[in-house]
Amino acid sequence: MGERGLERTDGNPEVQQPEETLNIFGKIRATLWHNTPSKIGLVTIVAIFAFIFAGRILVPYPPDAITGAPYHPPDLAHPFGTDYLGRDLLSQVVWGAVPTFAVSVASAIISVGIGFPAGLFSGYFTKMEPLLGGTTDIFLAFPILPLIVLMGELFVATNLLLIVILGILLWPPLARAVRAQVQSLKTRPYVEAAKISGVGDMRIVSSIMVPQTMFLAVAYTVINISLSTIIVTAVEFLGVGNPNAISLGSILYWAQDYAFTAGAWWWILAPGVIIALFAVGLGLMGFSLERVLNPRLRSQ
Amino acid sequence: MGFIRRRIYTYIGILLVVTNLDFFLPRIAPGSAADILVTTALNSSEQRQLLLARFGLNKPLYVQYYLFLKNLFATWPPNFGLSFQYYPRTVTSLIAARLGWSMLLMLSSLFLSVVLAYFMARRSSLRVGKATDTAFMYGSISSQTVPVFWIAMVLLWVFGFDLRWFPTFGTATPNLPFGLAYVGSVIYHAILPVVVMTLSIFGQNYIVLRGSIQEVLQSDYVVAARTRGLRDRILASTYILRNSLLPLVAILSFSMAGLVSRDVLVEAVFGYNGVGDLLVDGVVNHDYPVLEGTFFVLTLIIILGGLIGDLLLVRLDPRIK
Repeated sequence: MGERGLERTDGNPEVQQPEETLNIFGKIRATLWHNTPSKIGLVTIVAIFAFIFAGRILVPYPPDAITGAPYHPPDLAHPFGTDYLGRDLLSQVVWGAVPTFAVSVASAIISVGIGFPAGLFSGYFTKMEPLLGGTTDIFLAFPILPLIVLMGELFVATNLLLIVILGILLWPPLARAVRAQVQSLKTRPYVEAAKISGVGDMRIVSSIMVPQTMFLAVAYTVINISLSTIIVTAVEFLGVGNPNAISLGSILYWAQDYAFTAGAWWWILAPGVIIALFAVGLGLMGFSLERVLNPRLRSQ
Repeated sequence: MGFIRRRIYTYIGILLVVTNLDFFLPRIAPGSAADILVTTALNSSEQRQLLLARFGLNKPLYVQYYLFLKNLFATWPPNFGLSFQYYPRTVTSLIAARLGWSMLLMLSSLFLSVVLAYFMARRSSLRVGKATDTAFMYGSISSQTVPVFWIAMVLLWVFGFDLRWFPTFGTATPNLPFGLAYVGSVIYHAILPVVVMTLSIFGQNYIVLRGSIQEVLQSDYVVAARTRGLRDRILASTYILRNSLLPLVAILSFSMAGLVSRDVLVEAVFGYNGVGDLLVDGVVNHDYPVLEGTFFVLTLIIILGGLIGDLLLVRLDPRIK
């Protein structure tokens, strides 16, 4: 949860967006690819995606079928070994990765879908700074994991619920950043000129504000995917929801109960490595993005 | 004072949100608490009515709300009700017994992570070596994002089960009278969880500290002092340390939520009897009062930690009014 703390700037837009180029893809490429930590992260993510994709086609066993002896260490037939029932772990990882990632990505998209318009409109139309700023502060310090645990217990904890909750909890930082940017843009001479010459508000927002802030939206999507993944795997690990549904976190949920006493180290290692690599890959990308978003954090 | 006032508003806001969530969520969730309590054997609606009355659930909503708030804020210690699983123990007593252990874990890790980050930052700043710096950076980023519960499981496996250097669960050897042996046992049981937590949080501290030390090193005062020949060591302990700690303290207030979440996960893996473990217990046992109470207390910890951090910041930073 590191990024969220570092995110606290004055909201000074001059600091946040020094170059106002509209070349979004150029900026994205520069930040994510020409930046070593991010490049490593990106490569890792792509590699894992490839691994999972290939796995779904190549792995012969379904993840929930008993295809081997229980607690079987890794061998050629089961490269990741088997769990306590005799189900192949590689299949579980390869198939279970999808629900986990789907939830992270979906919640990140929702959070941006809420936060981006919220920031745009609150920045352009009203002066609701204390409201948005206060909300962001509250969400920043909110105990997300306990809340999800509580809600997961009370309500039927489906993935949909998780997506919605995370989407709601993660939108404020983007909104605040976008708002700050929009407010700064509002004072630009060309925007004032446009307003005076009668260009409609919606037009200004859509053709000036949106492109300028698009980079923020993309950056925060990645950052939020990173945060979501961490939270989602932790929630799955705790057994909230349906631990019988196979997901990356739930593999470790069962491992925690059974692997230690059975000496099944592979059960803990392999799925965990995949999760760790994915999390670190996203974290590296998020780190580079954070640096661009908050130049104050850049080291000299 | 404007800064502190804004922070307090934020904390009150969080408290309000959490309090209302704690009250309304269980009441709008499908199934009532009485349904959970009443086992399938006790099918009579009479029993149900009795239970509802016992827990005060048959009163009108606004009365329940008033009582809820009164129990929470007007009594000390706050009354969260009775646990379903450990009936008739009160949730408050359960939390109180475990609070100390969680605080032990969290405070130790917090302290160690700052110390570790400080020494790392000092190493990579004062002696400019690219390899060390890069390694530390990647180490910091990775350790923060790797799931803490997995780190916990791996370390538990290697050092607990495989090498058997450390115990695998619990906070201390049971039934030990208070004394040197007990303290030793506490430390022994706490080492692995604290190491795991520290590993997970030092990264953020290091990154912030490193950035701020570099900034300070280039400030005019420091450059001038060094030109005058003042030795780095003297500088480090006075000016550099004091000023580079400021952003770190600012960060600490915001990192409390992450600290608490990690604490819950670490306690879950190590079976460490803290409040986080109680939360997980509540999940397993469907114990709503425990869940609500723990949620509230964990939020309180975050708020208090944040407030202390903010007060510290105001004390240390002369620029904040």
